[in-house]
Amino acid sequence: MRKTAFLLALLLGASAADAQLPFLRKRSGQPQQPVLQGIDALRADFAAQAGGTTVYYGAESVILGPPAKAALSLQAAWLRKHPEVVVRIEGYGDGLDTRDHALAIGARRAEEARSYLLLLGVPSTQVSTTSWGKERPGLGRAITVLVR
Amino acid sequence: MKRLILPVLLLGLAGTAHAQQPAATVIAVPPLTSPDSGTKGNQMLAVGWDVTQAIEADLRQTTEVMPLKPNRDDYYSYPEVTAPMFTKWRSKGAKALVTGFVQGRADGRLTVGCYVYDVDKGRELARKGFIIGASDWRRAAHKCSGLAYTAITGAQGIFDTRIAYVAENGIGDARTRRIAVMDSDGSNHRYLTSGDAMVLTPRLSPKASQLAYVSFAGGRPNVHLVDLGSGQERPLLSADAISFAPRYSPDGGRIVFSMMLGANSDIYAVPAGGGAAQRLTTSPGVDTDPSFSPEGTKIVFESDRGGSQQLYVMNADGTGQRRISFGGGWYAAPVWSPDGEWIAFTRRDQGGRRIGIIKPDGSGEKLLTAGSGDEGPSWAASSREILFQRGGAQGRNGLYRVALDGSEPRQLTTPQDGSDPDWSGVMD
Repeated sequence: MRKTAFLLALLLGASAADAQLPFLRKRSGQPQQPVLQGIDALRADFAAQAGGTTVYYGAESVILGPPAKAALSLQAAWLRKHPEVVVRIEGYGDGLDTRDHALAIGARRAEEARSYLLLLGVPSTQVSTTSWGKERPGLGRAITVLVR
Repeated sequence: MKRLILPVLLLGLAGTAHAQQPAATVIAVPPLTSPDSGTKGNQMLAVGWDVTQAIEADLRQTTEVMPLKPNRDDYYSYPEVTAPMFTKWRSKGAKALVTGFVQGRADGRLTVGCYVYDVDKGRELARKGFIIGASDWRRAAHKCSGLAYTAITGAQGIFDTRIAYVAENGIGDARTRRIAVMDSDGSNHRYLTSGDAMVLTPRLSPKASQLAYVSFAGGRPNVHLVDLGSGQERPLLSADAISFAPRYSPDGGRIVFSMMLGANSDIYAVPAGGGAAQRLTTSPGVDTDPSFSPEGTKIVFESDRGGSQQLYVMNADGTGQRRISFGGGWYAAPVWSPDGEWIAFTRRDQGGRRIGIIKPDGSGEKLLTAGSGDEGPSWAASSREILFQRGGAQGRNGLYRVALDGSEPRQLTTPQDGSDPDWSGVMD
C-alpha cells in the first residue's frame, strides 16, 4: 500500500498546462496574451527545475513516499526562489473508490503535499489546495499548479 | 385508510424454495368524467383523458399495481364517480378502481377529484380533491396515482416526486457535467447549471423545493444551495473551505455535510436557512456521506477511522457513535430509507462496487445489485426502490432503479449519460 510510484515526467509538466489549454483555445483568432506567456514560461521553468509537477501515492494511501518527498523538496526550492508565484496543489483520489471518499482522499493528498512544502520553508500563503476526487482519470496523485 | 388484501398474501405460505414474485393488484382506470356540459364539458373531458393516461403510466411503473388499459368506451356519468358499477369491474378482473372528475373553475383553474375503491368489497378506500392550474394536469395525475398506490400498498407514492442527477456529456477530461432536475416520470426535464464548472452530488430537499450540490466553480469543491422556484443560488458556507456530501434533514430545516479542516474530513450540520455550522465528528481520517434517520434524531455516515471505510450511526448531536457494518469489504455512501427500516449503501470489495441494504442495527445485510460499477444509492419515497448510478463501457454512466425484492435493475431514460441520482420525497 505504501509503495509510492514516482515518475520523472517531463510530460507531466505539460499535462498540467494542458488542463488550461481548452480555455485558451476558446479565444480563437486572438493572439496569446503576454501574461499567459509569462506564466507558461514560469510553469515550464518550474517543471524543469523541480523535475515535474506531480507526486504519486499508492492506492488508498495518503502517505508521501521517499520519491514524492524528493520531488517536493525540489518544488520547495523553486518556490522559495519565486515568492511572487502562487501555487495550488490539486489532489486526486482513486478511480475505484466511491465519489465522496475519493474527494476527501484527494484533499488529504493535496494537504499532505502542502504540509511538506511548508515544512521545507515555503510560506503558507503561497500554497493552497483543492481536490478533484475521482472525477478525472489517472492514478492517485497531487499536482502542483502555478496559479499566478 | 384501509388496505386491500394483496393476492400475494394468500399464496405466500406455499413454502417454495424460490421466492415468489408478488402478484400485482389489478386496478381499473376508466377515463375521468366532468360535471361540466357543452364546449367546456368537452374541454374538461379532454383534460380528464390526459390525466387518466398519466395515471395509467404512473401505476404501470410499479411492481405492485397493474393498471388495466384505459378505454374511452368506459365513460361514466358524474354521479357514478361516487357510485361506480362494481360488478362491471369485477367481471374484468379488477381488484381496485380509480374514478374522478375534472371541473372548470371561473378563475380558469381546474378542480380535480379522485376516488379509489376496493372492487370486491364495493367500498371506498380513499378520496382527494385539489385545485390546480390548467397546465398542471400532470401533477393532478401524480396525486391521484399516489392516492391509489398508497391505498393499495400502504406505502408512500413515488409519482409526485422529482429526480435530480448530474447529466454527463463526453468522456474523460473532456466530460461536461450539468445539474439536471426532472419529474420522476421524466417530464419537465431542465438543467440548473451551464456546464462551465464541474458539479457533483445534487441533493433535493424533502419536498423538492430546494437543491444542494457541489460546485467546483471557485476552483475548490463547495456546497451550493439553489431555490428551484426562484432559481436563486448561494454558497452554503461563507468560508472558502472544501465542503461536499450535503444532505437535507427530513424536515428540510438542516443540512449535514463534510468539510475539510487541513487533512481531516469531518461531518457538520448547519441550518438550511444559514447560520453557524456545528461539528459532529472529530476523528482523524475521513468521515463523510452523512444521512439523517426519518425522525431526524440519528445520522448514519461512513468513516475510515478503523482503517477501512465502514458505516457508523450516531445521534444527531454527534454523540453515541458506533459502527454497524461488519460484513467484510468497504462500506460507503449510506442513506437512511424514508420508512426508517433500512440503510442503503455502496459496498466495495473484489466484486467491485455494489448496492446493498442493512438494518440500522447492523443486521439483515443484503446485496441488491451485481455490480461491478454501481454506487450512490438514493431511496424512492415508497422505501421500496433504490435509484443508483451504474458505470458502463468507457466510463459512461447511467441511472438505474432496483426494487428491494432483488429483481433486475431497470435503466432510467435520460437525455444524456447520468450519475449521482437523488430522488425527492412527495411534493406539496
